Amino acid sequence: MELKVLKATITKEFQVRLRAYPVSFMVGCILTSFYTTFGAWLMYHYFFRGQLSESFGSLTGTRDYMSYAIVGSLMYLFVVRTCLNVSRTLMTELWEGTLESLMLAPFRRVSYFLGNMLLQTITTFGETSIAALIGVLFGLRIHDFNPVGFIIAVLLSLYCFFGVSLILGCVMLYTRNTYITQNTLFTAMFLVCGITFPKEYLPMWLRVLGSIIPVTDCVSLMRASLLGGFPQDQMVKLVIRAFVIGTAYIALGMPLMKKVEIIALEKMEG
Amino acid sequence: MIEVKNLKKTYDVKRRDGLFKSHRETIEAVKDISMRIDAGQIVGLLGINGAGKTTTIKMLTTLIEPTSGTYSFDGMDAIVHPAEVKKQINMIAGGERMIYWRLSAYENLWYYGQLYGIDNSVLKQRIENLLKMVGLQDKANLPVETFSKGMKQRLQIARGLINDPKYIFLDEPTIGLDAVVTRELHDEIKSLAKVKEKGILLTSHYLSEVEELCDYIYLVNNGELIVEGTKKDLTDFVFLRNQYVFSTKGMDKNVYNGLKRHVRNVDNDAEILFENGKAMITSNVELSTILAGFAIQESLTIVELHKMEPSLEQAMIKLSKDMKKEAEREILYKSLVG
Ligand SMILES: Nc1ncnc2c1ncn2[C@@H]1O[C@H](COP(=O)(O)OP(=O)(O)O)[C@@H](O)[C@H]1O
Ligand SMILES: [Mg+2]
Repeated sequence: MELKVLKATITKEFQVRLRAYPVSFMVGCILTSFYTTFGAWLMYHYFFRGQLSESFGSLTGTRDYMSYAIVGSLMYLFVVRTCLNVSRTLMTELWEGTLESLMLAPFRRVSYFLGNMLLQTITTFGETSIAALIGVLFGLRIHDFNPVGFIIAVLLSLYCFFGVSLILGCVMLYTRNTYITQNTLFTAMFLVCGITFPKEYLPMWLRVLGSIIPVTDCVSLMRASLLGGFPQDQMVKLVIRAFVIGTAYIALGMPLMKKVEIIALEKMEG
Repeated sequence: MIEVKNLKKTYDVKRRDGLFKSHRETIEAVKDISMRIDAGQIVGLLGINGAGKTTTIKMLTTLIEPTSGTYSFDGMDAIVHPAEVKKQINMIAGGERMIYWRLSAYENLWYYGQLYGIDNSVLKQRIENLLKMVGLQDKANLPVETFSKGMKQRLQIARGLINDPKYIFLDEPTIGLDAVVTRELHDEIKSLAKVKEKGILLTSHYLSEVEELCDYIYLVNNGELIVEGTKKDLTDFVFLRNQYVFSTKGMDKNVYNGLKRHVRNVDNDAEILFENGKAMITSNVELSTILAGFAIQESLTIVELHKMEPSLEQAMIKLSKDMKKEAEREILYKSLVG
């Protein structure tokens, strides 16, 4: 790892974004937070209210659907913002005509991606906090705060989302398409990762799909550390599983990215 | 010294025929190119659009890997050690790419400097020098999007020198620039080679640019080398002879024949054609005054007299005709000899 590259990439991304959209950046941030929580509230009032089945409580360890859905939505916001921006970085370089000058330099890619990731994490934390405050207005309540579990959930999420971003970035750069890719993949994640309803409600094959995306475990872990209702040993199991899957994503993502980079440069005409 | 032998690059591409139909196609962007670049030398890679210049440069900068061929970089196998090569080279392309428009000039150079792992104190000094060199020291803190084309190109040059490269690859660097900026850039390129001892490869489709700058020239077409040599070697068949269009009032066959004799007196090898009431003359000799003199001597009013800038396209057409003739002559010779 090269700290210089890491630091410089954070600074560069910050400067670029600040100049690109200082106002729309803030407004966008607040709006996204609002829609996210509002979406959860709508889901509750039009789909679930009054008909929460017995199984919901036993599956999730809580009867507070609003808090369940808002925490899920906040995590989803976190996933989307981080993964989207990190996985899009090389696409952005391609569009702006800087991919070649970047690739001409002999630096290690990990530092570059981590730099992007860290800057994104900082802004996403800001966004998620605003969203959490709005969430409180809509009925988010912290029932059983577990600080150690929370910190582990945050760190593990960052680790796993980095892996997811890498894989997603490979798909985008390979297909040279962001919109179809990102919308399909994020909608799929919304459905199968237990964001607003327990994944046990899904048919078996979708549940399997959900379990190989580390987002699912990270969401469960975050909920457990905020809303409680989860036995300790089960939490440990989640942590280990998420770590293993996240590691697999990173271990696969890094070399794959190298390959896709080569393909992307080959595809550039003129 | 950089030396490549028999470089070849093929692309496998999918071409769409319809919504659901497509077929695979192999494109030979570069078929067979061998060349050499020494320190302090400006080498020209001349070719029309699609000749394979950019593809060659991308292979030399290790951005893409050749399909086959060898690449030796100061004695090292560049295909095996692309990271080592990257440290000692840089590339500057024409157009407005390769810099971040949202960053300032200084921030751009700083970021690229960090990517090359340059020590901060060294980098600071270098950026100052480079900004001064390209005349952007007063604009250092302005975002690049406010820059003119020429300024962006100058910043790109500074970026291309940020790692103090030993070899520099310039891909049509003056494309889209006006004459004044082009002139400044040419001076810059010359001093990089002659004062700073950098090895430079420059691609271009402007004959005049290559003629002015390059010590050694490779002419490529369809991914293959056609000819190579110094400017002097190539003068006759690449840079072409002087071409004139000449016509006078009432120019008829008589006047034309008189003109022909007049020109042949000066240059017996001149080619003269009569088309649409105009004479087209190609010659090794500077004929402007001779032609004007003819008009005065014969008391004719000149309607048109101008010298044409030869274009690369024309040169290519002529060259391929010459080569065909050469080949025919060889066949004839062989059939006569045995
Ligand atoms: N990435 C690519 N994929 C497919 N064909 C390509 C690619 N890059 C270049 N080509 C083709 O190879 C030929 C040479 O291109 P290029 O090297 O860009 O020429 P030049 O720079 O001399 O104009 C062209 O016919 C071009 O269309
Ligand atoms: Mg080109």
